Amino acid sequence: MLVGAVKRYGSGQSAVVALDDVTIAFPAEKFTAVMGPSGSGKSTMMHCAAGLDRLTSGRAFVGNTDLSTLDDRGLTMLRRERIGFVFQGFNLVATLTAEENICLPLTLSGRRPSGEVLDQVVTLLRLGDRLHHRPAELSGGQQQRVAVARALVARPQVVFADEPTGNLDTRSGQEILGFLRSAVDLHHQSIVMVTHDPNAAAWADRVVFVVDGRVHDVMDRPSADSVLDVMKGLGR
Amino acid sequence: MTQMMRSAARSVLASRGRFVLTGTAIMLSVAFLLATLVLSDSLRGQAAGDIAQALAGTDAVVQGVVLGEPGGGPGDLGRSVRRSLDPDITERVAAVDGVDGAASQWVGFAKLVVDGSSVGTGTATDAGRNWVTVPALNPFRLESGRAPVEVGEIVIDRSLAGDAGVAPGDVVQVLTATGMHDATITGVATFASADAAPLQRTVLLPDGAVSAWLDTAAPTEVLVDVAEGADRAEVLGRLSALSDAEVVDGPDYIQTMQDAATSPLQFLTVFLLAFAVVAMLIGVTIIFNTFALTVARRRRESGLLRAIGAERRQVLGGVVIEAALVGTVATLAGLVCGVAGVGALRWLVGLTGVSLLTGPSIVSTTSIAVAATVGMGATLLSAWIPARRAAATPPIEALRESAAEPRVVSRARTASGLVLAAAAIAGGAVAVAGSNPVWLMPAAAIVPALVLCGPAIVTAAARWSAPVARRAAGVCGSIAAGNLSASPRRSASTALALMLGTATVTLFAIFASSLTSGVGTDVREGLQADLVVTSATPDFSTIDPTLAGRMAALPDVDAVSALSIAEGIVAGRAEAVGGIDPTALPTMFDLDPIAGDLADLRSGGVAVVGDDPALLGDTLEIEFERSTIDAPIVAVVARSTGGFEAPAYFVDSATLDASAGRLLDALVFVDLADGMVADAEEDVRALVRATPGSFLETRAEHVANSGSEIAAFGNFIYGMLVLASVIALLGVANTTALAISERSGEIGLLRAVGATRRELRRIVRLEAALLSFVAASIGIAVAVGFGWALIEVTGGADIPSVIVPWFSLVVTLVVAVAAGVGAAAWPAFRVSRVPVLELVSRDG
Repeated sequence: MLVGAVKRYGSGQSAVVALDDVTIAFPAEKFTAVMGPSGSGKSTMMHCAAGLDRLTSGRAFVGNTDLSTLDDRGLTMLRRERIGFVFQGFNLVATLTAEENICLPLTLSGRRPSGEVLDQVVTLLRLGDRLHHRPAELSGGQQQRVAVARALVARPQVVFADEPTGNLDTRSGQEILGFLRSAVDLHHQSIVMVTHDPNAAAWADRVVFVVDGRVHDVMDRPSADSVLDVMKGLGR
Repeated sequence: MTQMMRSAARSVLASRGRFVLTGTAIMLSVAFLLATLVLSDSLRGQAAGDIAQALAGTDAVVQGVVLGEPGGGPGDLGRSVRRSLDPDITERVAAVDGVDGAASQWVGFAKLVVDGSSVGTGTATDAGRNWVTVPALNPFRLESGRAPVEVGEIVIDRSLAGDAGVAPGDVVQVLTATGMHDATITGVATFASADAAPLQRTVLLPDGAVSAWLDTAAPTEVLVDVAEGADRAEVLGRLSALSDAEVVDGPDYIQTMQDAATSPLQFLTVFLLAFAVVAMLIGVTIIFNTFALTVARRRRESGLLRAIGAERRQVLGGVVIEAALVGTVATLAGLVCGVAGVGALRWLVGLTGVSLLTGPSIVSTTSIAVAATVGMGATLLSAWIPARRAAATPPIEALRESAAEPRVVSRARTASGLVLAAAAIAGGAVAVAGSNPVWLMPAAAIVPALVLCGPAIVTAAARWSAPVARRAAGVCGSIAAGNLSASPRRSASTALALMLGTATVTLFAIFASSLTSGVGTDVREGLQADLVVTSATPDFSTIDPTLAGRMAALPDVDAVSALSIAEGIVAGRAEAVGGIDPTALPTMFDLDPIAGDLADLRSGGVAVVGDDPALLGDTLEIEFERSTIDAPIVAVVARSTGGFEAPAYFVDSATLDASAGRLLDALVFVDLADGMVADAEEDVRALVRATPGSFLETRAEHVANSGSEIAAFGNFIYGMLVLASVIALLGVANTTALAISERSGEIGLLRAVGATRRELRRIVRLEAALLSFVAASIGIAVAVGFGWALIEVTGGADIPSVIVPWFSLVVTLVVAVAAGVGAAAWPAFRVSRVPVLELVSRDG
């Protein structure tokens, strides 16, 4: 949740305002997509909401935790225990096997993954036969599935996904979106996904449109066409 | 071209961090090489120049007839042993037609003593000479004060005056072969323009004092000034007709003196150059690594350039120009630092007591050219090889491929490395079995074998260490171990630099410990006396001969026995001959007689150090400076009295005094009465302290100090190795930093999923520790093997057995790993400071 969030890069004349007094809450146990044209501030919004970046002013909350009160270590612990991430690229540690990658957030915090949850996630993402491969031996779609599994396995409060399908072909992309959808439906996972693809946004329960650092519109139960219409209206 | 230059310059500036490290590596290597070259030039050039200048007025020299050439053992200065001249030789020379001036030159032992303690330690010798009154022939020049005239007046060289802190007018003492003399300093002199003669501390005496003080009846040599206008060759011919003398042409004499003065330095020069080569090798490895990675990172970029129509040469050119820019700047900086670094090296050499570089540094154009060429050449070559590889890649492949090098280790490479390693080990085995040093050459092939096997070794090490690392450090451990094998080639070449460093350290440590033990064995096994009085320098006897008698008179001193040493010629070779009391000595130092009876030395016999009892009964001819003796071999002993200058023959001390003149004692052994040790030792200590030129050691101290000359030299070598290791560690820092910048995305990811800064630093440090450990243990293992073979084959009598200093090696290993981790500290710090977001979004 963001309250009066402002993010300014640089200072004085050359300052760029990426987030301009944004207040928004991402509903729990729902799949939210954040959309907007390039440079609209949608990625910045996600980074600030996830504690990867700090706001210039305003506050960001994960649950009841005010991120601005946390130091680096606190933020790290928060990411480790309460947030999951899926990025567009650089999603896996090349020297670890798929299984080790999936369990990474847990092992970092010294926990052992519960076999049940691991099984559940692995089954959901159909990675059973791939667990002992290294990322280099996996296809792009498989790698991204491992990344999603890693984000889910710690049962975080919220998963942030930054263009998770950006580097994938359509079929693999649809697959990933399907997995995210079923994580919300089956396991009551909260997911926030940044994307510029209307087809991806159509998988979400709600779409938040961001333009020039402001929330422009919010659409519930979107379809690819309705999203596209709004995007066209944004002057894309 | 200018366009390319500009873009290359911009690219260098853009990735400043990476090039600063590479530049530093180049700079340090060039600086090290140049400093070494300059130092060796200066050492040699200075000594040679000083001698040439000092002896410029000498046209010829008349010397005694050569008896024998030097034995050539370690520490030997390469002097010939000559028969004494006649006392009237100078008059006879002066009377020869065409001789304008003739000056006697007396050389003996004289040591300056100020306030009861002797001045000067280290490898320079203490020489007493007469002040030559013929100005054209005097190698010394008065700097202040006046020449010595009366007995009891002396002039000292400037370096000695500086060390002792004395000036003309001060009252001092001089210890010579005839004991202690009171003296007044009348002046300070320079050798030509240098502070001192090479490798000598000189006390200059008036003509009236030399014979009595230096205990020689005749001059050592006569310096000759040939009259102007006289035919030099004819004069030389007439001089050579003199009986019982030889004549040497001036230039030949200068050459001989120069060789004698610089030969110990040549040893040093070889060592210095060996280190420069190691440093350079390490430097080249680092440079190569950096450029390989730079090029790899830019593969995509160059693929794009190629795709849009850039020629192969254009892609390649950019990298090479970039390298040339970095190389030029770094090499120039290296040259400057090198000249400045000579000061540091001089200080380091000074630590051994070899303070012989008295003049300014000689920076020759050759040294600069060599250092600059090596620096530039290494840089360009290191850049060109990977660049060529990159340019040869089809553009599309380059575009598609990720920046990381393939993880696959080439089987052919490993196989050829293994074959080479097997050949090297076989060569070493043959060398040891056949005692044939030629076979050591293939054994040295272990180094290229390691270069070839490196990637495979690193991969294997990563695999083996992964479970251990995981158990010790959890997931950080497995990531660190995995990183090691993620780019095996780069890890291997980093390891190589460290491996070379530790191997050199190890090789030297084994050599030093074996040599020290070899020299010290006799003392360790033979010494039984409670106390030992030693001379000021190991290669010259300086103990007042009356000291032994005075100590024997002390209460609670059981027995005292002195050892004096003189040089004699046996079968044409100069050998040390010891004079002992054959009845008193054996109770204090067991020479371990294996045949005959030492007591028979009393009747004029000689004891031979050796292991062949059959020598008994033969007759030995020993030529001394004053007379020749024919002595029957009455005993064969297995042990000598230890140290570098240990005698190979023993005679009765009375016999030696009669044949070689009255001698100072080299060592005095003291046995204390049982039960009264502490008090008696105090009495002896007081007496020895009051006798300059003598030092007291307990049995344990003497055993420990035997071979300490090597230890002093060892300090110097270790100092050099520290410098070389600094360069190797820079390589670790460099590679670690490079690997981190390559893996920035992955590191960002780790941060995003919840790795703390501490955990990231831990991964980086662990990786460095693993790499250092692998490198250091292989380096040590290889050096132990090679060193063992080397000493077994070439050690001979000086190093009878190989002593591996396990403790030092463990310390070396620990230090290497700690230093590796230390070198990774900075990159580790950097990585943990970079904001998460920057890493995640850098390229993705």
